[in-house]
Amino acid sequence: MPDSATLTLDGTPEALATPASSPARRRRRRYGIFPFVALAPAVILVVGIMIYPIGQTVYHSLTSWDGQTSRFIGFHNFVTLWRDHLMRQVLGNSAIFLISVPMIVIASLIAAVLVYEQVIGWRVFRILFFLPGILSPVVVGELVTTFVTPNGLANLPLRWLGLKPINWLGSPWPARFTIMGALVWTSFGFGMMILLSAMTTIDHALYDAALIDGAGWFRRLRSVTIPMISEQLQFLSVINVVYTFTALFGFVYVITTGGPGFSTTTIDYYTYTTTFENGDFGYGAALAVVLFVIVLALTVVQFKLLPRHEVQ
Amino acid sequence: MLTTQSRMGRLVIFILLCILGASAVYPLLFMAFNSFRSSQAYNVNPFGLPTSLHFDNFHQLLTSIPFTASILHTVIVIIPADVLGTLFSALAAFVFTKTAFKGSQGLFYLMLMVMLMPGVVVIIPLYVTVVHLGLTNSFAPAILIYAAINIPFSTYLMRANFRGIPDALVEAARVDGAHLLRVFRSVIVPAGLPAIMTVGILTFLNIWNELFLSIVLLHTPNREMLTPTLTLLSGRYGTDIPVLLAGLLLGALPTIFIYLVSARLFVRGLMSGSIR
Repeated sequence: MPDSATLTLDGTPEALATPASSPARRRRRRYGIFPFVALAPAVILVVGIMIYPIGQTVYHSLTSWDGQTSRFIGFHNFVTLWRDHLMRQVLGNSAIFLISVPMIVIASLIAAVLVYEQVIGWRVFRILFFLPGILSPVVVGELVTTFVTPNGLANLPLRWLGLKPINWLGSPWPARFTIMGALVWTSFGFGMMILLSAMTTIDHALYDAALIDGAGWFRRLRSVTIPMISEQLQFLSVINVVYTFTALFGFVYVITTGGPGFSTTTIDYYTYTTTFENGDFGYGAALAVVLFVIVLALTVVQFKLLPRHEVQ
Repeated sequence: MLTTQSRMGRLVIFILLCILGASAVYPLLFMAFNSFRSSQAYNVNPFGLPTSLHFDNFHQLLTSIPFTASILHTVIVIIPADVLGTLFSALAAFVFTKTAFKGSQGLFYLMLMVMLMPGVVVIIPLYVTVVHLGLTNSFAPAILIYAAINIPFSTYLMRANFRGIPDALVEAARVDGAHLLRVFRSVIVPAGLPAIMTVGILTFLNIWNELFLSIVLLHTPNREMLTPTLTLLSGRYGTDIPVLLAGLLLGALPTIFIYLVSARLFVRGLMSGSIR
């Protein structure tokens, strides 16, 4: 897996990699303004199109704004938000959608463990499992809506059992599980890749030792494989928590439009309807700030969990 | 790797893989098969196989103006956005890994901070600006915004990879008197090509598949991109599912094709860059 790591470890003679005399100063003088010029386009775009607008969003969350004129109203939007019943339901929905995180992690683990055995065709399976992950949420969402019709795929098992088909999008929990199903289907391939990349670094002697101790297959999975990939399992859990806040918009927009009622409305979807359908830009900005704070906090947690050498 | 030696165990694992593989692929086959079936055949049995190739669904879609035009619009946006985003990220990753100057660490952290931010967080002021500038009919804002939002992750991924390019290669080129831009072109680009291509492909898929920004930015009737147009299909062909599925197939085909062609590169790039 670690192509670049092997390159630095094996491909570079130590003496060449670290020049002896005050490298920092010499480099700066020799490199002149090039680093600034080369960094400029990326930095200007990121600052101008992400950082600065986030600042503007924070400012406008303190205003009453219809997109034309804005008036400073202090924390009024946040007070309203605190009392907003819909906002409570939206946060509740986000909490419910967190159920999909263990579902994704477990599905990823199952897929990774099975591929790891390298039975016939494992490379093909590895490619196939990732395939749903490269599709647009729009394609997946529309496809899912054809599955939840009365004679669709999701009702097929019920009809075989002689039960009545469920109206999947007609009541809150089935609608939520429809969205979570789409999310799990598109996410487990990525999870599998992450876990597999960790598994390929496990020293095989550990399995041999466990085998000599008489450990069965499940015991080896529990006592060797899983402990060796615990960092990646943590990473996957956190990144998928982030995704339940940031990656559901497409599914919600296409499959349920937030309904029935508001039972599948997420913060990003609520922000979208508030701002672009109801024209309340100030309140929409306040909602966006809440989402920003949540994602920022989770981003920090995620990088704290990464192996230390990664973010040097 | 091979933690199971017994034949029986390996057979069980193979069968489980087949079941999981079927659940990953069947929905796509369902989409592909029904794209070639008539509406009547679909209503009788949605799970049937195509008995003959029935191209009417595609004909119906491709002669409907918004569908073909939306693909064109997406291509107009995606090519410059992908090229600019990938190039700028590669330059940034080069500076972050192979030169030392004050502030680069801070700028890198700034990028990490916004790496996972969804479009909703930035779009409200951007949209208002675009409206004020009278650019709602222009592809330029979408190009710049798509390029920008992909830069943090692209830079992160390439930085992880470029760190593996030996500094000695850069030093050697410098001793020969090469300007840094030359070093970038003749050392970094060839050595980091797998990572650069992975980033280019990921950016392409991201933009092709993205919905939120394309709804907000290009919503005038003659400027719509592909994904917003696909969302209209269920309303328009809600009773004619095979046409809807044919539209989804056409929308997904480029991404499926690119993924399958570059799967090896893709799998390796993803496994080496995402977490280490």
